[in-house]
Amino acid sequence: MTAPETMAVHGAELSRRGVLASGGALVVALGLPLSVTRAAPLPANKLDASKPASWIEIGADDRIVLRTGKGDFGQSSIYTAYRQIVAEELDVPLESITTVISGDTDGTPDGGGTFGLLGGAGNLRKAAAYTREAALELAARQFGVPRDALSVRDGRISGGGKSTTYGALVAGQDLRLTIPVRGEITSFFGLEVTGDPPLKPVSAYRIVGQPVKNPIHRPKMSGETVWVNDVKLPGMLHARVVHPATLGSTLVSAGKVARAEFPTARVVVVGNLVGVVAEDEWEAIQAARTVAADTKWTEWKGLPTHEKLFDHLRDKVDWRELPEDKGATKGDVKAASAARTHAATYFFPYMKHAPISPTVSLADVRPDGSVVLHTHSQNPQFLRMALAKMLGRPEADVVIRTYPGASHFGRSNGGNAGSEDEAVLLSRAVGRPVRLQWMRDDDMQWSTQSSASISRISIGLDANGRIQSYQADHSGPPIQDDRPIGAVLAGLPTIGAPAPDNAVGFQRMSMGIADAWVYGEIANVAELGHVTYQLGQRESPLAIGLRDHSMRTPSQFQQNFPREVAFSEAAALAKADPLQFRIDHVHDPRFKTILARLRDESGWRARPSPSPDARAAGAQVVRGQGVSIMLRDNGYWACAAMIAVTPETGEVKVERITMVMDLGIIVNPLQLRRQVQAGCLMGVSQALHEELGFDERAVTSSDWSGYPILTMAEIPEIKVVMHDNPAIGGYAQGSESANALAAPAIAAAFFDATGKPARRLPLRPEHVKAMLTA
Amino acid sequence: MLTLKVNGTERTLKSSPDLPLLYALRNELGVMTPKFGCGMAQCGACSVLLDGKEIRSCITPVSAAAGKEVTTVEGLPARWAKQKKAAIAPGTLHPVQEAWIDEQVPQCGICQFGMMIKVTELLEATPTPSDDEIKAALTTSGPSPHLCRCGSYAAILDGVHRAARIIAGERA
Repeated sequence: MTAPETMAVHGAELSRRGVLASGGALVVALGLPLSVTRAAPLPANKLDASKPASWIEIGADDRIVLRTGKGDFGQSSIYTAYRQIVAEELDVPLESITTVISGDTDGTPDGGGTFGLLGGAGNLRKAAAYTREAALELAARQFGVPRDALSVRDGRISGGGKSTTYGALVAGQDLRLTIPVRGEITSFFGLEVTGDPPLKPVSAYRIVGQPVKNPIHRPKMSGETVWVNDVKLPGMLHARVVHPATLGSTLVSAGKVARAEFPTARVVVVGNLVGVVAEDEWEAIQAARTVAADTKWTEWKGLPTHEKLFDHLRDKVDWRELPEDKGATKGDVKAASAARTHAATYFFPYMKHAPISPTVSLADVRPDGSVVLHTHSQNPQFLRMALAKMLGRPEADVVIRTYPGASHFGRSNGGNAGSEDEAVLLSRAVGRPVRLQWMRDDDMQWSTQSSASISRISIGLDANGRIQSYQADHSGPPIQDDRPIGAVLAGLPTIGAPAPDNAVGFQRMSMGIADAWVYGEIANVAELGHVTYQLGQRESPLAIGLRDHSMRTPSQFQQNFPREVAFSEAAALAKADPLQFRIDHVHDPRFKTILARLRDESGWRARPSPSPDARAAGAQVVRGQGVSIMLRDNGYWACAAMIAVTPETGEVKVERITMVMDLGIIVNPLQLRRQVQAGCLMGVSQALHEELGFDERAVTSSDWSGYPILTMAEIPEIKVVMHDNPAIGGYAQGSESANALAAPAIAAAFFDATGKPARRLPLRPEHVKAMLTA
Repeated sequence: MLTLKVNGTERTLKSSPDLPLLYALRNELGVMTPKFGCGMAQCGACSVLLDGKEIRSCITPVSAAAGKEVTTVEGLPARWAKQKKAAIAPGTLHPVQEAWIDEQVPQCGICQFGMMIKVTELLEATPTPSDDEIKAALTTSGPSPHLCRCGSYAAILDGVHRAARIIAGERA
């Protein structure tokens, strides 16, 4: 063994730790923040969850392993875009990245939530750039030529008449590249790679931009993949939980199980958390039903009901109680003169993430108090923090292992989706591994929801029909409550509920303006956000109420819907074509370009709304067109919806959706197309069907009949138009914008078809009939 | 003791006759592609073929499957080989599965096991279905629509048409 030898590479440090008889690797390790490196060494018998894992590992056989704390929730990005971005930066063939390890807290380096996935790729991109530079330095030394004389292409490093591969460079060596990072791994955002390694110029990209298929689909579709649903632990018990009767009930007495009927079932009570465990899953299910019928809870009422939610938000909430947030602010909306004004109030109900599989987790609490949790989470390291806090144990005692599962659409980006902490508490109580599967009603009634919102929009027009002023007041409960529900029920420590001074992750209660302002030609603009406490939270003895959680395009969906629908109504007041009206009021040429493209691609008929054939009554179908636009994470989006309405029945059918997007560089057009189609259909589902039912006590939407979503028979024709714009030099965030665009375009098309505004969602027949007779 | 054929193999179950087939498949026989989604035949995540007809295993007692043949996604490649009366290349899946991969149909994919079962039933009866026939099969033909929360329905349409082309090509 030679002494460790080090060299500096653009702020990273490459060290040769030894020479090996066989194998060899370059491992990209992290320069860990002080708080992690100072942690006392763990006893050998403990799990070592704090051990850093490498980001990128290059073997002597040229095979490359990637590790990321992000997961796959159907976006495919960690298996496609992430590999493309790293392969591009290293300049190796995509296929040489053979393995992507994701999520496991003891096997991935970075932490943070699975959201903004392409933004998160910035970490890997930099790690890859450091790695390439280190390899070039090694090659320069080996060849005895200056670094600048070397280049890399398709995995071959050449220069000065010599050539090698990454694998050959690391063969027989034990190399470690330590790159600079900052942050805390179990914080909401995880670690960030710092420094400025030279990045490959975008003009030289060859792998980013290719329609790469997702390699995970074959093992998934063959049945080979082990989903979280499929994990079995030796000696495990099956569990179900009996959740409280209302969102504010405390336990009076837990029901019992009869030994004769349920020979292995046991009731476990931890505070207000009631669980039932059994050796057999069906026994656990049936025993839990019996226990539920026999469990007594205190009565509680404290919610406004979904029927009265609009009135409650408009009339009952004191929106001055908490500080307001400001969005776009320009000119003086009060002083601006207006020949005509469009002013209206818009409403966005509570919605559910509603994964097809209810949340399921398996917990193994060991006799020494350490925990391994098997689950499907968008933020495993933050979940590790939450479980350690709940148990009063060091974070190093908790390991999270992750598996594929049903998509959550943001529900677990703060770690938990619902079952994780409850599984841990049940396993701790019974001293055995426990598999907790929530039933459909648990998942509908005890998970978080996408928050409701009410918006007052006022648009002032001059005599020529140009907008002089735009005012918006967006008001609603906050978007994020990451407290694990089982810990709350059990009365154990959690992070705080959303509050004005809670600085953890997104728990700070505020109503920031999330809908990026796009109408640069308007002289006077005032956007305000107003927040209130989660409904029922302060009234509930459990401090629960209707818990909120970010769901695809969070807050921006709630704010873009009223803005865009109001904009189409203002265009009607100006007797202007709503698409041209947008072109006339945006400033950014990228919007003007995609709107013009949308007009061509969608079959748009340039004319003011409502349609000359608009009718609000009768059995005959009327048709309309509507448009919406959005700017999200540097992505420019425009959408046109063509719909048919049957006034007599209140039935709305979406016939065609066209989406045009300018995302700069498109990383993977194949995956983007599928994501946009799917996101668009989830958006159509939200527009037509989705509204959480709740009474004064509890959520009443308990299954798919109480919370219907879009079916195959209802799908429109979808046209996805990617406006490639590589000159921008970067890639914007992908697809979730597609979710939010459909609803305002559909509502505008409803107005076009019927002459009656649609200022709320969803466009279910009962609401539609009310709109048509208003 | 009940016997049934699962993916071509005779299996004996110790479970009680009223146990829903889903739990027998997953917990007793280790057949894991049928997934629990709702337990009420509202979503289709647990669909299997029972003597070639799509049923919801979450509400079907094992007694109803006694003596019959159950096919899950694990058994689709062998079902296809049997129908073709020829071995299929190693690693090759049923045309519906291959089409799902070719067309990159899944988003998260959890509903696709039930979708592929339903589509297999459809294509065995209607080898070249129209869009309307596909939509009807996945919406109105069973006890409930087959639900996809991610919104992969447009991709599913592409997947079914491709599967039909693969089948037609292989039969030609």
